[in-house]
Amino acid sequence: MSVLRRAVPAAVATAAVVAVLANVRGRPPDLAPKRVVSNVPEPGRVSARPATVSGPVRTGTGQIITTPFSVIQVRVTFTGRQLTRVETVELSGSGPRTQAINAHAEPILREEALEAGSAKIDVVSGATYTSESYRDSLQSAIDKARG
Amino acid sequence: MGIPVGIDVRDEIGRDAVDRAFAHLRWVDATFSTYRPESDISRGERSPAVAGVLERCEQLRCETGGWFDVRATGRLDPSGFVKGWALDGAAAILAEAGARNLCLHAGGDVLVRGERAPGLPWRVGIQHPLRRDRLAAVLAARDLAVATSGAYERGQHIVDPRTRRPPVGVLSVTVAGPDLGTADAYATAAFAMGLGGPAWTAGLRGYEALTILADGRVLSTPGMAQLRAASTGLSNSSRTASMKTSSTRSPNATTAARRTPTCRKPAFS
Repeated sequence: MSVLRRAVPAAVATAAVVAVLANVRGRPPDLAPKRVVSNVPEPGRVSARPATVSGPVRTGTGQIITTPFSVIQVRVTFTGRQLTRVETVELSGSGPRTQAINAHAEPILREEALEAGSAKIDVVSGATYTSESYRDSLQSAIDKARG
Repeated sequence: MGIPVGIDVRDEIGRDAVDRAFAHLRWVDATFSTYRPESDISRGERSPAVAGVLERCEQLRCETGGWFDVRATGRLDPSGFVKGWALDGAAAILAEAGARNLCLHAGGDVLVRGERAPGLPWRVGIQHPLRRDRLAAVLAARDLAVATSGAYERGQHIVDPRTRRPPVGVLSVTVAGPDLGTADAYATAAFAMGLGGPAWTAGLRGYEALTILADGRVLSTPGMAQLRAASTGLSNSSRTASMKTSSTRSPNATTAARRTPTCRKPAFS
């Protein structure tokens, strides 16, 4: 239910993101929703939308988008007043390819504030350090402690 | 330039296996280092090893929509893939010798297999981008490769292949998944995308990401959030929110379109 409630406001964002994802070569054709978060709190919103949508099915095709590496077009399908499908059609680049993305495949990212913490760890991932910068890095301290 | 490498094996294996792993890393450095004038890369020598790496880099360029580009700086430099790829190779050598539980690191790239002790996952810290002595997050990892790209170490060495300028708005991107060379390339690509990176990482298959923005926000894909929740340290009190993200179209798309890549080989093959 939560997903359905989110589908409509997500429509525009999804279309924009799809334009980017369509450039990724070799993506398996079934872009099934990888992530569905069902516990996203939505204060003030009560689920009233039925689990199934009904009404006339309409399809609209968006403007042609030229990205640096391909030309694509986004096609959306509405069932009644709800967006039920977003597709991108790649018009050039690596050959004709259509990807269908379920409307609730929108990227859902967890957001929080950056903290500066310390914890017992085994290893550190960070941007490249040289031998000079390694000397006073966290990783160096860990390696020394381990001996 | 030297990059310190650490190999931590928690199983009884022969010392010669570790020697072979280091020998492999030295060979990679001698072959691919852009800092060595006599390396194959520097001399433009297309040995089979170089050709294989460049082929994979070309695949990764296609997979990333051109954002991972070994020629982004104007000269050939596959370091963004090779460092991780080298550790993948070293881990394979150790695994063949019987190592089931190991932790490798080189220049901020991390590769762990198995556990640090029975029942206990490896604890992988993610460097805080602004404070060298602090962590931004901790992951609990079993069989995981973790690569981070950012501007905080060697200065602004990652550039947007379109503009050839460093991205803005992002401090670091960490990508975790099965293959370190791929994670390295994805992290480089996502960092180059700037503020468009998080949306792109959300669509990756088999790889998770954590992006630290210049405004102090941290954006994690759900799988990354799970890896963090499983760790005991630094369990940030966070609010969960859906992130409406935007397109990563480049401002100077017109000029970049002239160098549209032809991607012959399917990715993820």
